[in-house]
Amino acid sequence: MPLPSDINFDTLRPEEFERYLPDLFANGNGKVSEDPRLAKFLGEHPDCAALVNDLETIAEHARSLFQVAADPSDKVWQNIQNKLQQGGFEDDEPEPA
Amino acid sequence: MTQAATPAKSSPGLFKRNPPIAGEAEAIEAAKNGDPEAFSKLYTLHKRRVYTLCLRMLGNVSEAEDMTQEAFLHLFRKLGSFRGESAFSTWLHRLTVNLVLMHLRKKGLNLVSLEETINPSEEDAPKRDFGSRDPVLASSVDRVALERAVASLPPGYRMVFVLHDVEGFEHNEIATMLNCSTGNSKSQLHKARLRLRELLRENSEITLAEGEAA
Repeated sequence: MPLPSDINFDTLRPEEFERYLPDLFANGNGKVSEDPRLAKFLGEHPDCAALVNDLETIAEHARSLFQVAADPSDKVWQNIQNKLQQGGFEDDEPEPA
Repeated sequence: MTQAATPAKSSPGLFKRNPPIAGEAEAIEAAKNGDPEAFSKLYTLHKRRVYTLCLRMLGNVSEAEDMTQEAFLHLFRKLGSFRGESAFSTWLHRLTVNLVLMHLRKKGLNLVSLEETINPSEEDAPKRDFGSRDPVLASSVDRVALERAVASLPPGYRMVFVLHDVEGFEHNEIATMLNCSTGNSKSQLHKARLRLRELLRENSEITLAEGEAA
């Protein structure tokens, strides 16, 4: 649910917080735990704070996966070379946007 | 075919993570002119990133290798249309993502799975309770555990999570690629993270139980 512009963070209930959480993550820098508007709420609702911490931990670790890469087997390049030498393969895919 | 690469336009997400590679621009221009050694160099420079992207999106080594092959074959055909308006690696990433998405849409089973996660059924959706503070989750999120958990996500959840959290695409870019709204992309990412939280908590509980039994 999009975050309403008139949301009152002082009277926020956990169910509302859960509904707004995707937008809270997307609209900020991904660090909901550092959002000053939510400091009081998270302090009063430790389970919500735990959820935020866990989701932030997952997102932070996901970024580190970008640095990890695996190699394809040698047969991939052999197949590419074979196909290019044959010169015939379908061309029905879109270009990148 | 010999047009010089123009300065890369700033692109959200990926570009800042894909700085120019030494010798890449020369290899691109030479490959455009049909130099097989230059194309081989482009393959060497980018095979790991392309293959890893395919592997994370598909969760299957054999399919990932097939799609890596397809991505480079299409690169060979499309290279002449690369104008340097974005970083080459970003452009190649998008080409690969488009190919993988088209591949999934062509496969009936995966198409259903993808749509299920764009409009997930209640059974597939992650639990909506907050759970309690798990003191071991942070320590249990090592790379191997997270990779394993990501691989076990439903295809649509995995797609949005990999594109946003791992590859750095923005929600509006993902929405365009998946033909859904940005709100839907945000929602699916959130559900993917919730599901990962469940999987990682289960994993940590199993690890604890095994430790106690030993």
